[in-house]
Amino acid sequence: MTRRFLGGLAATIVAAAVILVLPLFLSDTHEYRFAFVATFFIAALGLQILTGYAGLISLGQSGFMLIGAYTTTILSVDHGWNDLATIPLAGLLAGIAGFLFGFPALRLRGAYLALATFAIPIALIALAKKYSDFTGGGGGKNLTRVLTGHEAYVTTWPIAGVMFVLAWLLLLGKLGRSFRTIRESEIAAVSSGVNLTVTKTLAFGISAFFAGVAGSLYAIVIGFVNPDTFSINLSILILIGVVVGGLGSLAGVVFGALFIEYVPLYAPDILNWAEKPFGSPLDPQRAGAGAAVYGFSLLLVLFVAPYGIAGLVSKANKSLSRRAYTPNRT
Amino acid sequence: MKRRLGLLAAALAVGATVCVTALAGSQVNGVTKTKFVIGGTFPLSGPAAYYAPIPVGMKVYFTYINTRRGADHKRGVSGRQIVWKYYDDGYNPANTAQQTRKLVEEDKVFATFGALGTEPQQAVVDYMNARKVPQLLVSTGATEFGARYRERPETIGWQPDYFAEGRIYGKYAATNWPNKKIAVLYQNDDYGKNYLEGLRNGLGAKESNIVTTQGFGATDASVASQVVAARQSGAEVVALFGTPSPTVKAYATMKALRYKPEQVILNSVSANDYVMNLALANSDASTLDGSISTAYLMNSNDPKYANKAFVKLYKAQMAKWAPNADPKNTFYYYGFAKAYDVVKLLAATGKNPTRAKLLKAARHMNWTNPGTLPGIKVTTSATDPFPISQVKIIKYDGNAKIWNEVGSLINGRGGT
Repeated sequence: MTRRFLGGLAATIVAAAVILVLPLFLSDTHEYRFAFVATFFIAALGLQILTGYAGLISLGQSGFMLIGAYTTTILSVDHGWNDLATIPLAGLLAGIAGFLFGFPALRLRGAYLALATFAIPIALIALAKKYSDFTGGGGGKNLTRVLTGHEAYVTTWPIAGVMFVLAWLLLLGKLGRSFRTIRESEIAAVSSGVNLTVTKTLAFGISAFFAGVAGSLYAIVIGFVNPDTFSINLSILILIGVVVGGLGSLAGVVFGALFIEYVPLYAPDILNWAEKPFGSPLDPQRAGAGAAVYGFSLLLVLFVAPYGIAGLVSKANKSLSRRAYTPNRT
Repeated sequence: MKRRLGLLAAALAVGATVCVTALAGSQVNGVTKTKFVIGGTFPLSGPAAYYAPIPVGMKVYFTYINTRRGADHKRGVSGRQIVWKYYDDGYNPANTAQQTRKLVEEDKVFATFGALGTEPQQAVVDYMNARKVPQLLVSTGATEFGARYRERPETIGWQPDYFAEGRIYGKYAATNWPNKKIAVLYQNDDYGKNYLEGLRNGLGAKESNIVTTQGFGATDASVASQVVAARQSGAEVVALFGTPSPTVKAYATMKALRYKPEQVILNSVSANDYVMNLALANSDASTLDGSISTAYLMNSNDPKYANKAFVKLYKAQMAKWAPNADPKNTFYYYGFAKAYDVVKLLAATGKNPTRAKLLKAARHMNWTNPGTLPGIKVTTSATDPFPISQVKIIKYDGNAKIWNEVGSLINGRGGT
């Protein structure tokens, strides 16, 4: 346990150091992209808590991001708030919405729960489009500032760091254990004294809080919000990030976030590179080529690492330590 | 002595800097002695991927310009080759923001041309204007891109805007069907709402003819409830203001319900042959027959225009540079025709192009684009930010599978 903790701490410090130093080596455009990695990271952390730890499948993360994004937009554009000051409130409002959703969700499990969460972004998008005087409607709303890539980076990553520590602390104690117990078996959890109602609604609330913060940052970095951005596709993307990173691993989430930001973006370049030995039979700029490459990469990753990248790392760890330690055969 | 050396060193440093700056000249992003680097973002994947042929059509025209000798006996524009960079944003504003920054900051484009999508371009309009990079001929008819030109001097549209088009439909309905009830099926975003506002404006006193308005999402799986509501309203005229996908669904639903309104008004974006053929495949000729819309480009599939020089050029260049592409998909033609205006603008910047000159040229356009319907002029001025405002009403012949022009040119923005 202590060894594992120290290993985790060391890895976290190294990662923090890398993130601190990275801007020196990145152009403004790349810093801008990396800022998106941070927002996906935060949203995926929330989903990790809900799905990876508490075992509750949710496709609603983008809906809670919508709440966070629009809270920030409306407060900063229409009411003169400083956009950064809106972030905690954006998270809070999204968290409350998530918490409230937890109550009806208590009765649902597995695929039925997933279907119910499917409705969250659909309903919220429709609401945003309906109350267009309030939200700017389907056409969207521009925010107050245009950020440089560097500003986006230094706005998002410190917050991502704080959220990571927050997630880790939340999962450390009784709450984390309650989540994991629910995931394994609800009956066992109840008989161990876990209050299902409180725990499940908290899980939804906390993960929605993370989504709200991520949505708020997403809006600030892009400088524009519109309802369709927060469609079910975004929820699925976040879920992919969690799965690729490794279900149940907080640290793995960063790899997931890197995957969902960079692989679709570089898909045409990946195709170019992969085709070189074959003389480029497929045109990377052809409509849909990028999406096909992204899908293929995803399948490949899941085939090679079914438990995500964190799963690969822990497998490597285990096999290394097995060699280092030979038990006494008595 | 030390002090004099110090002063001498400082003087040399200043002098050297001045000399180097003078020699380097004012570096204009995207322009060298031999190249114009321009770019745009387009949906090559995702829900709007049917627009993917547009940048390819533009590329074919640019390749034609790059390889032929122009009136000045040089290849390219003003002796410069056009380097055309376009990236996929999947119609997702988050991606548009990232890809546009890549174009501006890494590829250092002179300007963006024809970048597509109302919300995607809305996401980058503040960035482009703040960085003072021309965002020209955006591929969207959203009125705000023209209407807000005073706040956004770097941004200009191209095609007739949706409000103007809606207005034309309103006027046509008020004149030709003054007592018929109208049901409007509109995409529930700025795209559809723009059209609806224009329709109301054009109807004027007859605005009360609108008995129901039904909104739908661009990516909705079904528009059945909206079509049913239209039928139940008893309206004789149905207006369809949506992008291609929901349009095809609406026609398919009408056929399934055996619902044939007396008149159907179809917005021009969804009225091209590619979409109509899809609609035919999912519906039938009698449902589509008689639909009216507007057009500002020649239909490259219409035998009437087969002998026009520009249409012939289009077919020849498509065969040469994009042999695997289907030239009957008029989205290629849209790109090809737009590229003509891009080249005109680049040429207008003269021997030493700058962004300021480009912008000035964009605000003082006054020529004929040979790809548009005969009689249309491409014009902008200090008070008119809409390059193309004239259209013709067209009517669909479901059996011949062709649009026929009706009447003469109409200016959607007032005037003639």
